[in-house]
Amino acid sequence: MNANSPTWLLTLRALVQFPRNPMVLGFSVPPVLMMFVVFGTLFAAVRHLPGFPTDNYYEYLAPAAVLMTTVPGIANSAVALATDFQNGYLYKLLTTPASIGSIMLGRLLADGVRLFIQGGAVLLLALALGAQIATGFAGALLMLLIGTLFGIVTFGVLTANIALKTKDPAAVQAVFPMAFLLIFLTTAYQTEDQVESGVLRAIIDANPTEYVLRAMRELMLTGYDWDAIGLAFVVILGLGVLGLPLTIRNYRSVYR
Amino acid sequence: MTATLLEHRRKTPDQSPLDELLSAAPATAGGPDAIVVDGLAKRYPDGTEAVRGISFSVGTGEVYGILGPNGAGKSTTIGILGTLVLATAGRATVAGFDVATGARDVRRHVGFAMQEIGIDGVATGIEFLVLQGRLHGLSRRDATRRAHLLLGLVDLEDAANQRTGEYSGGMKRRIDLASALIHLPPILFLDEPTEGLDPRARAAIWETLERLNAELRMTIVLSTHYMEEADRLCGRIGIIDRGLIVAEGSPAELKASIGGQTLSLHYAPDSPAELLSRVRAALLARDDVLAVVATDGHLSVEVDDAAGVAPELLRVLQHEWAAPEALSIKQPTLEDVYLRSTGRGFGEEEELAA
Repeated sequence: MNANSPTWLLTLRALVQFPRNPMVLGFSVPPVLMMFVVFGTLFAAVRHLPGFPTDNYYEYLAPAAVLMTTVPGIANSAVALATDFQNGYLYKLLTTPASIGSIMLGRLLADGVRLFIQGGAVLLLALALGAQIATGFAGALLMLLIGTLFGIVTFGVLTANIALKTKDPAAVQAVFPMAFLLIFLTTAYQTEDQVESGVLRAIIDANPTEYVLRAMRELMLTGYDWDAIGLAFVVILGLGVLGLPLTIRNYRSVYR
Repeated sequence: MTATLLEHRRKTPDQSPLDELLSAAPATAGGPDAIVVDGLAKRYPDGTEAVRGISFSVGTGEVYGILGPNGAGKSTTIGILGTLVLATAGRATVAGFDVATGARDVRRHVGFAMQEIGIDGVATGIEFLVLQGRLHGLSRRDATRRAHLLLGLVDLEDAANQRTGEYSGGMKRRIDLASALIHLPPILFLDEPTEGLDPRARAAIWETLERLNAELRMTIVLSTHYMEEADRLCGRIGIIDRGLIVAEGSPAELKASIGGQTLSLHYAPDSPAELLSRVRAALLARDDVLAVVATDGHLSVEVDDAAGVAPELLRVLQHEWAAPEALSIKQPTLEDVYLRSTGRGFGEEEELAA
């Protein structure tokens, strides 16, 4: 991607415009930070259970809080895409040599940058609450990268396709709760051993979010577990490949 | 097919933004046909047949008008040529590239100002134009320079740093047009380009389009339902009705095709339809009457020599049928051509479309 590629130009456009919509920045991070503090306080006693991997519950919770920022947060890209449809600007972009792929990717990358920074805010709060990151600054960056990429290939692609299909921001917003479901059906709040329901354990094992979360948690609590990190990237890549046909299928619906 | 020649003209201190823009613009040269349309059709998923097999061609450097009421198929036709609408049958080439298989190449050669204005409301005017220019491959420097010239051209210099979302409807229309010109394309598509503009802004845009066409040989295809606009700007016009081109030619040819002049007979609005129908039949039976079209208490009577026929016609109507409340003689207009070609008035058709 060079400095003149449509994807890069459209990424820059979105980045320049973020500060002009302070509502997106202002209201997307505080709820996650509040949930982080509230759940961290409510479930703090879990850390006393036998076999719990850390004495600081915020350390355990922080990777899930990063995902809570990046996964639902990426849907703002799709809302922006649908809004561009509604105000006609997307069709103006399509009169240029830029492809719909560049238009989608440009927006997703810009939101990825935003979420990377917002996820960083979550980790800073965790540090302020006494948590430590076992892998240090580099591990924190890797954790944020995994969280952001996972948000893009899962919820980002899904909601962008809903935007392509419906061209309606409200339809995109209606899918938001699904993002929380993806994260809640993991070991976000307690270890798998502590989950009593067999059905829930099966769901957790089938949920791709779990494998990404485990890699991030290892970075937070233990160190570089390359097997877990590799598996997380395989999951991300696999979901990205799965999302591609969906996008291609909806691609032509852009044209009237 | 379309090649470009760079022309460099000396800038003088009193140059207008348009002069300066043109001074560094590529002048278009190329083959005879910029656009070839063959049997083009579009059926929307809901079954609406917006375009039903139309064919026409537009020569390089020509201004071609697609004239018709709302709902006639103008926007669909121009949308297909601009690669935003997928045709369901037929073929079209723009700048030598097939609109279906070479869409990206087509877009490199065209500018498109759509009927539904498409602007980025969060961007400022200058940012919006620079991005459009860069997406068309201009360097930042060239895009910025041209953007400033175009803002001057469409009288928006003072609003350059204002967000376009805060612009009035007319300002949005003007910056949208400017964005279609940022890369000075050899072919320009304009869908109702002066819709919603005041007469002064409309005249300014007409003048700009005339100069772009005259000095750059820019091929312009515009759809409009304004007769005056089509008459003034277009070298040739295709009149479109319910998805079909029903008449084509230069404005003068089209007007000449319907014969001499038109006598307009105005009856009271509450006149019985039966009376008008009988008068129409009686007029059609006369040798000196070429055609009669009835619309809303009004009969348009085409004759070779209106001034010569009018007294005799009035006398007959007064004695045998009913004299009109008013009578006027007018030269043929494009609306008369539409009336003759379709049997309906523009207004009627637009009401149907609505």
